[in-house]
Amino acid sequence: MTIVRALTARQLFLIVLGLAVLSALPLVLSPSLVNAAIKMLIAALFALAFSLAMGQAGMLSFGHSAYYGIGAFAALHLMKAVEGHVLAWPTPLVPLVGATAGLLAGIVFGWFATRRTGVYFAMVTLALAELLFTLAPSWNSVFGGESGISTMRMPSWAFSFGDDTHVYYLTLAWVALSAWCLWAFRGTPMGRLAVAMRENEHRVRFLGFNTHLARTLVFAISAMFTGVAGALLAIANEASNYTIFSTQASANVVLQTFIGGAGTFLGPALGAAVMTFFARVTSDLTRSWLLYQGLIFVLVMLFVPDGFGGLISMHVRRLHGAAIKHLVLPYLLCVAVGLLIIAGVVFMIESAYVLLSDAYVAQRRGAGGAVVPYHLLGWKFDPLSPLTWSLSAVPLFIGGALLPFTKRQTELAWSRALDESEQ
Amino acid sequence: MEFFVISALNGVVHGLLLFMVSAGLTLIFGMMGVLNFAHAWFYMIGAYIGFTCTRTIGFWPGLIAAPIIVGACGVLIERFMLRRVHRFGHAHELLLTFGLAFIIEEVIKLFYGDFPVNYAMPEYMKFAAFTLYEIDYPFYRLFMGGVAIVIFAVLYLLLTRTRVGLIVRAATHRPSMVEALGHNLPVVFMGVFAVGAGLAGLAGAVAGAFFPTGPNMGVDFGTLVFVVVVVGGLGSLEGALLASLLIGLFMSFSVGFNKSLADLLGLVGLGDWAHEVGGLLTLELSTIAASTPFLLMLLVLLFRPAGLLGDRQ
Amino acid sequence: MSGAGEPVLELRDLHKSFEETPIIRGVTLVVRRGQRHGLIGPNGAGKSTLFNLISGQFAPTSGDILLNGRSIAGVSPHLINRRGLSRSFQITSLFPRMSVAENLRIAVMGHHGHRFTLFRPVANLRRVSSRVDEHLEKLRLQRRRYDMAGDLAYSEQRALEIGMALATDPEILLLDEPTSGMSRDESAYVVELIREVTERKTLLVVEHDMSVVFDLCDHVSVLVYGEILVSGAPETVRADHRVQEAYLGEEAA
Repeated sequence: MTIVRALTARQLFLIVLGLAVLSALPLVLSPSLVNAAIKMLIAALFALAFSLAMGQAGMLSFGHSAYYGIGAFAALHLMKAVEGHVLAWPTPLVPLVGATAGLLAGIVFGWFATRRTGVYFAMVTLALAELLFTLAPSWNSVFGGESGISTMRMPSWAFSFGDDTHVYYLTLAWVALSAWCLWAFRGTPMGRLAVAMRENEHRVRFLGFNTHLARTLVFAISAMFTGVAGALLAIANEASNYTIFSTQASANVVLQTFIGGAGTFLGPALGAAVMTFFARVTSDLTRSWLLYQGLIFVLVMLFVPDGFGGLISMHVRRLHGAAIKHLVLPYLLCVAVGLLIIAGVVFMIESAYVLLSDAYVAQRRGAGGAVVPYHLLGWKFDPLSPLTWSLSAVPLFIGGALLPFTKRQTELAWSRALDESEQ
Repeated sequence: MEFFVISALNGVVHGLLLFMVSAGLTLIFGMMGVLNFAHAWFYMIGAYIGFTCTRTIGFWPGLIAAPIIVGACGVLIERFMLRRVHRFGHAHELLLTFGLAFIIEEVIKLFYGDFPVNYAMPEYMKFAAFTLYEIDYPFYRLFMGGVAIVIFAVLYLLLTRTRVGLIVRAATHRPSMVEALGHNLPVVFMGVFAVGAGLAGLAGAVAGAFFPTGPNMGVDFGTLVFVVVVVGGLGSLEGALLASLLIGLFMSFSVGFNKSLADLLGLVGLGDWAHEVGGLLTLELSTIAASTPFLLMLLVLLFRPAGLLGDRQ
Repeated sequence: MSGAGEPVLELRDLHKSFEETPIIRGVTLVVRRGQRHGLIGPNGAGKSTLFNLISGQFAPTSGDILLNGRSIAGVSPHLINRRGLSRSFQITSLFPRMSVAENLRIAVMGHHGHRFTLFRPVANLRRVSSRVDEHLEKLRLQRRRYDMAGDLAYSEQRALEIGMALATDPEILLLDEPTSGMSRDESAYVVELIREVTERKTLLVVEHDMSVVFDLCDHVSVLVYGEILVSGAPETVRADHRVQEAYLGEEAA
């Protein structure tokens, strides 16, 4: 993990392929999906930048939204100046100001935060973000008060930036460039120093390094790329307000990074992209997405501590040849059991949400207090009927009953696959 | 003058409430090395239990139910979740409690909605305890302070005068030694966690009737508790008390302070210039009263990074 | 270069108390250039505290520490290291999930000024890489260069521990119980290694194993209850009856 090797030919091929696929997406996706893809790319960059401080240097920051927001507002102010013809600045280079603002904020805040380590550091970062969150609504000139700042993208370099397609390519270019920089950082002396500080900061100090300064700089670099992500968001949305500094945004990037796996390079990007995608896709169906994200996170922390990226990486590392064939059937079983349990849980949570909503309470009052049927996904359910309960209980029961068997089968298949891999 | 006395009283009460919650947090950290991020969310659960009980079975049963239910939650979390991830390190435990806080907030929003609820004390408690300089001082504030003081007295006696207290204090310093002496360490941990959680729940049930009870309670109170911990030092009850009182006083004095930096600069003749510049300089302290704890934290980090009373690591 | 026999490290009436408890009660000591100076003493004498004071872990309560004539009392550890003093730790302090070569590379690159270098991959720093190779050879760890430091055998880890302190090219090297926890054979191996790699270097070694000290060192100081009892040539110290009394019950050297 910490041995830095040059990319293999196969890895390079996959990267080029991936970029090609990403570049082709606007040609096949609907406009709303293109917008979703933009948000997914931004979230992925945010997670990669966060993971620099966390995964590389072991600095867990609970307040990264501070730099995200600062980058966004810096970009908005610049864009406003361009829009008002006060300044001439090409739109594609706007993220540079996000980077600069993020870097400066990272140096200042980071200097304070890195005076402490470990959990103290995490708490200081949280408090700094909260400080911004409480100050911003009152600081009208910079943050636009309660309503925020809004502006318009100006055409540059033969691009109109009028629709999302141009924005998508701009975002993709910046995210790819930033990702490459973040990858390259790992191989630099400072990148190695960051890992050493995660491993044993005490020793690093006795080897002649000013670790406070070093940690501040690493944190500032992480904040810089976070600022780029914020600027990209500002360009995409053409607006922002103080809620970008909320703990929600900070928490999201933490959850997404660890679901994806903080130990691998692309894990956090993967986690962020997938979670953002689900958030978009389920926003019409349910308002409980954040609860599901939290549940997924806790389950990952308990049962898949290296995240899904770590899981995939483990497969790639330990299975060779066709050994993976042993795992196909057990994994299908896992997926089936998983879907059953998810179905039961989701039905329960969604029903609870409907039953507790004001609309339903009003319905009941209208019916004189009687327990009336409720609507979910276009169907009617009677809350008191056993059939309704069984829709939740039965899949949970079956899934739960099959769980030990599934676990056993997976373990057996793994030992078979490992044996074959060793040959 | 009345401003001073009233603000001081308010500040002390607020500080005592803060201490009720941070004491549990600091004890748990000192003993188990794990920072329970969700601790302020236990406080929130307590408030909502108080609210629900007041609507159904009454206010006082709520004050009893809250610490019990929240304490039970604490036990479950410690036994079935924290113990599982203990081997992955403290950062992992912190993250787990972070996720739990998140879930608690979302579940509460699920059950009670996104907006604050109307949790209020019973009518017969809404009177003035005394009148000071023509201002009625609410009895309930004194009640909150009183509950906090009683709890401390009980805790202090428990920790210093009983055998269980002795074991707990020993486990805070030398857990493996306590285990080697034959005491059931996991049970001690679980007990401390439960008591800490229960305390936070009680604080929530008591305070929620006075302060706004809403889904943001966890975050708002939580960040304050963390500032207490950074300023006071983890593992130090004295530090937590000092920091809590300091922050409580800071905040309550700021709320009544309708002056800004520009006014301060006016003392040296730069008032007009500052008012023209505007922005941050004309921001009155009362508007940003909520931010003052963070400013205090920054000051402490600048001059005494190990916390006011130093670190007990 | 200054002449041999000059004081490199000087401790002048050093005192250190923790809260009310005095641990170091007035230590005066001189380590001269090229000396292999051993520091012995019974448990609780304050040897680790002394090392911590010298290397900058904490500041003395009173008194002074001079490195090449300049005061380093209360100076931060990283600055002390840059001024030419390096230490190893009694409890092995490595980067367990980095390779052996990487562990050394951190030390070497810092010494070569590559602390915050951002725009070159570390693999391209040829002088650093060749120095790392030299150190690996001296420490006899070339075969293990790609292994994780955490996976090494205990004595290999101790060798790496010393190697990392050496890799910053210090003028004076402080070794904190380099053979702690080792068998006779392992100790002999490590002592031989130390002798080789510290040729012509100034050494201050804290040791518990008497045979190691009297084998390796040309000057010995005895620390008892935070004070220096006697300081001189090994034979003189060994024969001193006060030293023998202090070690009553210890295995005869």
